[in-house]
Order: sequence, then structure tokens, then C-alpha cells
Amino acid sequence: MLRLWALKSKAPLFSKCLHNSPIIEAAASSPSSAASLVKWTPDSIRTGLIARKRGMTALWNDQGVRIPVTVLQLENCQVTANIVTVRQDKSEYHAVQVAASDKPLKRTTRQMQGHFRKANVQPKRIVKEFPITPDAHVPVGTTFSAMHFVPGQYVDVIAKSIGKGFQGGMKRWNFKGLRASHGVSISHRSAGATGAHQDPGRIWPGKKMAARMGGQRITTQNLAVVRVDTSLNLIYLRGAVPGVDDAQVMIRDAKKLTAVGRHNQAKGLYEKVLPKGVDDLPFPAGTLEWAKSLPSIIEAPAYRRSPFMPQE
Amino acid sequence: MPMLGTGILSNFFRWTTRCSTRAMATTSQTATKPYPFSKTAIIHPEPYVPPPASLVQGKGLMPHLQKTLATPEKLDMLRAYFGRHSYRRILPGSIVSVTLEHAPFNFTGVVLAIRRRGIDTSMVLRNVIQRTGVEMQVFVNSPHVKTIKVVQKPPKGRMKRAKLYYLRHSPEKMSALAGSKKGTIA
Repeated sequence: MLRLWALKSKAPLFSKCLHNSPIIEAAASSPSSAASLVKWTPDSIRTGLIARKRGMTALWNDQGVRIPVTVLQLENCQVTANIVTVRQDKSEYHAVQVAASDKPLKRTTRQMQGHFRKANVQPKRIVKEFPITPDAHVPVGTTFSAMHFVPGQYVDVIAKSIGKGFQGGMKRWNFKGLRASHGVSISHRSAGATGAHQDPGRIWPGKKMAARMGGQRITTQNLAVVRVDTSLNLIYLRGAVPGVDDAQVMIRDAKKLTAVGRHNQAKGLYEKVLPKGVDDLPFPAGTLEWAKSLPSIIEAPAYRRSPFMPQE
Repeated sequence: MPMLGTGILSNFFRWTTRCSTRAMATTSQTATKPYPFSKTAIIHPEPYVPPPASLVQGKGLMPHLQKTLATPEKLDMLRAYFGRHSYRRILPGSIVSVTLEHAPFNFTGVVLAIRRRGIDTSMVLRNVIQRTGVEMQVFVNSPHVKTIKVVQKPPKGRMKRAKLYYLRHSPEKMSALAGSKKGTIA
């Protein structure tokens, strides 16, 4: 698939890349108290987290409505670097590098051992980067907490989907197959014809065919955060999340809905910037220290009329 | 200069809030710590003891949640009626009556299927009301489900199937199941 965003803003050959520069450290170092002085603005983009998908269950909210939830657990998710890259056209790319799930030292390569030693964290299994705005840098070594997400907000989840193996056209591309009877011989699930005639006399590149299915990076957008439990570092999301149980997933604030919030802020609709019931977001990030001063288990109530009340 | 808000002082605050919220299942923010990010969020009572390190690493997390995300009354109900070795367990083919807090308030029907998923366990009840077949999937852990009562056990102790979806197409077998009980199944 052609990815236009990759062609558009390619990092040029000679760009200045600053990992953990002193300027970033000085700016991003939060004060000694747990709460942050820097406030979230609708134009800021916060960092995301890496968690493990633990499974699915169901919760019943205050109105008695059943909500199927996916349970995600943070496994020592820490910041390993703050990245600032200056492109040739002087624009800046800011990102926070996040790592999760401790790994034994002997199974980590020398190169990665050095990288983690510089960040002063345990070696980790997964290291990913989240693009942010310059005000959302988090000090290196900060441990994240589940309170980074507020019940009632929406998130995007990115994970590798379940592998389905080599699959035919019917499963992979929703082909209709052929008839079950009326003379069809042993090709009931086959794809049928693959092209035209002598003109063009070949198969177009990109023809949908049977091949390996699944095991790809998938983003599920706009999942609501139902409950947050900081004692066990759990985030409960409404709906399903790609991947198998115990898989690593990336969670970040929903891009499309925060963009809508940004536009509402510009239009002056200040009530519609954040979702209903959400007043503020932890900024630049929800840390373990901050979570100690907040309640452990927080749940979002239903913000709509009860479906069990009969309508007039 | 030693940093406040960490170490001893924060632990002291946790200890005092735990003591103050021990007996209360409160949703107000005054007795518990304030949550600045949402005024209308529901704050659950703090856990009495911090969870063991193995749970925080994820070992046995889902079975732990199955035990803690339901009230004790609901857990008793699940164990009594849906435990595989309970003497009071509901079998497919039995006639069960449930009392609900929303319409239809009480529903009696034949158990067609039991779906066991821990706290997400549910059963499908079928009845024929005013010449219309009506099915209802009852989630046991729902706060709207008040009581479950077994009106009649399956004939000969058990049915030969776990799922009795074939009863949807054979009303004669449905009425045979109803048997001698008058007025339960039309």
C-alpha cells in the first residue's frame, strides 16, 4: 500500500537529531511535587503508553448497562529518550521514546544495554516512539501510570493483529466464491478469473489473491476508557483491541477526536473540546508519583439517559 | 533539599485515607482523594491491601478480576447456579424463573443455552407468550437481575445436548418439556 505520509515529510539526509539534549531536560523536568505545573491545552499532543492486553471481560455501569471491556496492564512503562529532530526546512519533529516490559540483561544486546543504561532504566522488550508537541516532553526515566488516561476519554490502540496463516480469497478479501452446485467442479471457494484477455495480457499488480493474512499492525480508533485502576496499573477500554492476550499494544489519545476538539477550540465551542465528563488531561504525562496522590479506582459514569427508562 | 510529596508523606496520606474510607462505599469526592480530571467520575473505595507483586506483573490477573469485579452476592449466585459441580446448578432443559428490575420484571422459560464466561456468564431462556416465541438472554452479573429460581429440573435429570436450539423449531418438544407444570409455558 502506498503510504503518502512517508513520501511527504521524509527526514532529509543532514538533519540535526537531538536525543535527550540538555535544553529538553531543563524544560521538561517537572517540579518536585507530584502534580504538574504545565497545563494541557487543546493544541498539545501528549505521549502514549505501551501496555499488555490481558483479556476481555464485561462491566456493568451505574445505569446497569453491560459494557464489554478489554483489560490492558502497564508493565513498568518508562521513558527512555526525548527526541528532537530539526529538518532541513527548519521544522522540528518532537517525540518521546517509551519502553515497556522488563527483559533479562543477558538477553539484551550490547547496543541496547548501553541505550538503557544511558536512560537509567531496566532493559525492556519493546521500545516505541510517540510524536508529540514540544511542550509535552517527559523526563527520561519517568514511570508511567494508568492515571495518564481519564475515564470518559477516547483512545486509539495499535497492535499486531492475530495471524490467520495462509488464507484464500473468500476469507482474506471477502470474495463470493462460486456456486455450491449447478455444475461447479471442485472450485467452490476459488477466486475465479484474475484478469481480462489479450489486452492487457497480464495480471494487474496488486491483484487481490490468496496469501498470508493477519499479523499486521492495526489501529483501532476511538475506544472509550471505561475504568482506570492505578493499584494494578489497569486500563479498561470499551470494545475489542487487536492482537492476542499478553501482546504489547500502544495506546494514545484518539487522533481524530482530539483534532475535532482542537477545531472546536478554534471556533470558540469550549464545551466541546474534551469529551463529556472529562475536564482536564494529565499533562505532560500521568506518572507513578502523581498517581499516589489520586484515588486508585476511577470509573466513568454513563453520560446518556438510561436505556431502561421507557420513553414517553 | 528532600522532595516532599514522595516517600513518607505520601504514604502517610494513603494510610489516613484508607482508614477513613474503610467502611464506606462512597461515590463522593469529599471523603476520598480529589480527582481533578473529572468532576462526575465515580471513585470506587480503595483496596484494603495493596495487590501482590505477581498480580501487578500480570500473573493470574484475569482470574483475580473474575473474583473481584462482582459483588459477593452475585459470586454466590454464580457459584450456586452455574458452578459445574454445584448441587443446585441450572442444567439446559430446566425451567427457570428470573426476577428483574426492568420490564418484563419476571420471566419464566426453558433454558436453551448456558454461556460460561466467569462474571460474563449468561443463559438463554425461551417461552411462548400469547402464541409468540420469546427468548431472553439473562446476564447473571447484571445489577438488574434480582433472583433466579429453578421451577423444574430437566426430564430424566439431564438433556442429551448442551445447547437446545432445536427447540425453536419443535413446539411439541417444548410443550413436552413443560410437562405437568400448569401455566408456566403456553
